[in-house]
Amino acid sequence: MLIVTAKRADMCYCPGCSHGMILEALGKAIDRLCRPSHEICIVSDIGCIGTADRYFSCHTFHGLHGRSLSYAEGIKRARPDLLVIVLIGDGGCGIGTAHLVHGARRDAGIKIVVCNNFNFGMTGGQHSATTPCDAKTTTTPCGATDHPFDICATVAANGASFVARHDVFDARLVDHLEEMLRAPGFALVDIWELCTAYFVPSNRLNRGSLAELSDRLGMPFGMIRHHLPPVSAQPVEDRRSAPIKRNGLSPNDSRVVRLTGLPAQTVPALPWNTRREITVAGSAGQRIRSALGVIGELAVSSGLHAAQQDDFPITVRKGFSVSSLIVSPDPILYTGLDHPDLVVLLSKDGTERFGDLSALAENCSVVVDNDLPIGDTPARVIPMVPSAWEKELAREAVSLAAVAFAFVVAGLIAPDLLSRAAEAGLSGPYREENLRAIRLGAAQSEIELRGCTFVAASGGQS
Amino acid sequence: MREFITGNQAAVRGALRAGCDFFAGYPITPASSILSDFIRAFANGEGVAIQTEDEIAAIGQCIGAAMTGAKALTASSGPGLSLYSENIGLAQMGEVPLVIVDCQRMGPATGGATATGEGDVLFARHVTSGGYPHPVLAATDAATAYRLTYEAFNIAERLRTPVIVLLSKDIALTRQTVDLDAIGLSPIVNRAPAADGVYRPYAVASPEDVPAFAPIGGERLTRFTGSIHDENGVLTTNRTKIGATLTHLNAKIHAAEAWLEHTEEDLEPGAPTLIVSYGLADGAAREAVRVLRARGHRVSHVTLYTLWPIAERVLLRAANAAVERVIVPELNIGLYADELRRVLRYPRIESLTRYDGGLISPQTIIETVEAGAHRESSLC
Repeated sequence: MLIVTAKRADMCYCPGCSHGMILEALGKAIDRLCRPSHEICIVSDIGCIGTADRYFSCHTFHGLHGRSLSYAEGIKRARPDLLVIVLIGDGGCGIGTAHLVHGARRDAGIKIVVCNNFNFGMTGGQHSATTPCDAKTTTTPCGATDHPFDICATVAANGASFVARHDVFDARLVDHLEEMLRAPGFALVDIWELCTAYFVPSNRLNRGSLAELSDRLGMPFGMIRHHLPPVSAQPVEDRRSAPIKRNGLSPNDSRVVRLTGLPAQTVPALPWNTRREITVAGSAGQRIRSALGVIGELAVSSGLHAAQQDDFPITVRKGFSVSSLIVSPDPILYTGLDHPDLVVLLSKDGTERFGDLSALAENCSVVVDNDLPIGDTPARVIPMVPSAWEKELAREAVSLAAVAFAFVVAGLIAPDLLSRAAEAGLSGPYREENLRAIRLGAAQSEIELRGCTFVAASGGQS
Repeated sequence: MREFITGNQAAVRGALRAGCDFFAGYPITPASSILSDFIRAFANGEGVAIQTEDEIAAIGQCIGAAMTGAKALTASSGPGLSLYSENIGLAQMGEVPLVIVDCQRMGPATGGATATGEGDVLFARHVTSGGYPHPVLAATDAATAYRLTYEAFNIAERLRTPVIVLLSKDIALTRQTVDLDAIGLSPIVNRAPAADGVYRPYAVASPEDVPAFAPIGGERLTRFTGSIHDENGVLTTNRTKIGATLTHLNAKIHAAEAWLEHTEEDLEPGAPTLIVSYGLADGAAREAVRVLRARGHRVSHVTLYTLWPIAERVLLRAANAAVERVIVPELNIGLYADELRRVLRYPRIESLTRYDGGLISPQTIIETVEAGAHRESSLC
């Protein structure tokens, strides 16, 4: 059975329009592949050529302007065994340039037939991305001034495996299309043709002058690039097993669980029998979120509920990083902090972001890096010197030691319980480093507690 | 087993639980971790995950894949939802099962990339041209991000429609305690396969029916189109057929309204105050209700997990004759309260808003309720 089911004369195109010739040639080229029609999908773009899907007896997909390349790539990725062919005009290549360039870069295995007639035929003969300089269109009445888009050079320069440009009147057009369809990777043929409704009458372009236009623009007909794509760029046809589709995955399926690391361990009960709110304010790069997250994980592993909410600017290794943790025996409905029990201040950025300390309650503890100036507060202020721990810990682990120190000196947990909980509950690649940090923070806090060396800041209490 | 995961992680797990096997996305705060989690989840080839050149290509690839039979997801934030716009219309017209997660952030435009906001609640409904409906769900925390993303796939599959799931920065990136095993889920729904015989891609027996599905690449040939089409997927200018296709797009969603209503009602008979909440404000509302009742106030509460279609039956039942005021806390300029004014004509609807990146606290809701209660009593 022939893939193209309509005769050229029965197609919807204007008299003399080349689209029918292209469809006829493409149909013959596809027929030569002898593939069952259900293994082929034609994806048509928008514009006159976008109406062509109805003439094909295979799977067809007709979507939005310029986006045919993305649908085709999605189809090809999901079903690498299919032959996926895009029918697109010069207009579609203009509005969809990004997909053209990046599809070429990915060397996605789609086959693209560009029906390039240098203008928008369906909407009234406006100029397109490929309109030659000086050409008259309804939107360039004095002649186009923009440089015409070289589709072939663009995709060839960006990784496409097969790129060719041909004249629609080329006697070997079917051969050229067949070669393109058989080529692996991203393959494109840019076919120059005639729009007899608009471009031809305004610019006296005809069968003979397409070659002159090619010479004048320096865009030659023939093969532009043809090489085998790297193996890595090709979808592996039997790789995708997709067994999960019909019945889904259980929440404990290893394929799901690996996204969040190992399942929680059982740790000793932690002593937080009412809601406790903790904020750690530091700078990006100090691993503020990770440090407080470790405590949150221990709380969850011990059977408590926890919520950790973060505040950070758009910068990555610069600026404040403020993390807040709530732990509670009950489900946490509201994840905001209204009455922190503990505030840990680890940098100037963080302290500034945290803001006014004067509104804190008297029973709140503020554990602050000794180097940081802070404002008046009724809270209990406890200084610490985390820089002294840098000798014994990786720099990234200092914040966790500071958090452990702060939890203990604020009276939120006993040092030995914290260490035991960490021993039982920590897992993953940073277990040893984190364990060392927690033990160090807990040990330092014991020294601090024994020495009772709390320093009263202005307005604070010792 | 309790875990400590973000809303984004929960959404990914909900999607995988539902059988999602295709993901395409473009990096954007606060949705990026969904992309990287899917890249990791499908590294072994069990599904396809790709980072595309932009959000337009992301949703485009999802639509193409979905029509081969994949269960596809894309995720972004408000700026990306803007770029999805035209393709959401394509998914409506072509009847594509597709799930879109929008991790909302403070807007408009670039807005506050790392700041929370829930200003996409109307945009998510009216995101594309033409005026046809699609369901929109809103998570309140990590647990509901899991459940609703899962349920969104079932809705998408059953109704062959795009479904948008709303999260926001402080759900997407906040870690919470979740026990996924304990979360009740409806059975998995897969799109109805076409019966044997000649396949007509868009044929329905009655307007509210959903066309049976045959995949691109299957043995029976199928036609997909975003143009106005007849039952065969062929462009048509026949007004009877045009009317039938467009009526169907509306009717299939409305016929499923009762099934689509995911809500939670906590009603107190005779309560003069009703709080209606969704998204991030819901947790604060629950906390406020607990405190208010402990103080002797009678107050009812409705949580909306489905924002569209609007849960009119539930709302009309909750806003009974005893209800004098409806308080609607939301993290935008009061967008959904306006919709409720259309549905609930009688009780006074009071909008409680915050849009500076902070949360509405339970205390604010408590004060609002108590201030009104005092006003009522002083009027007596």
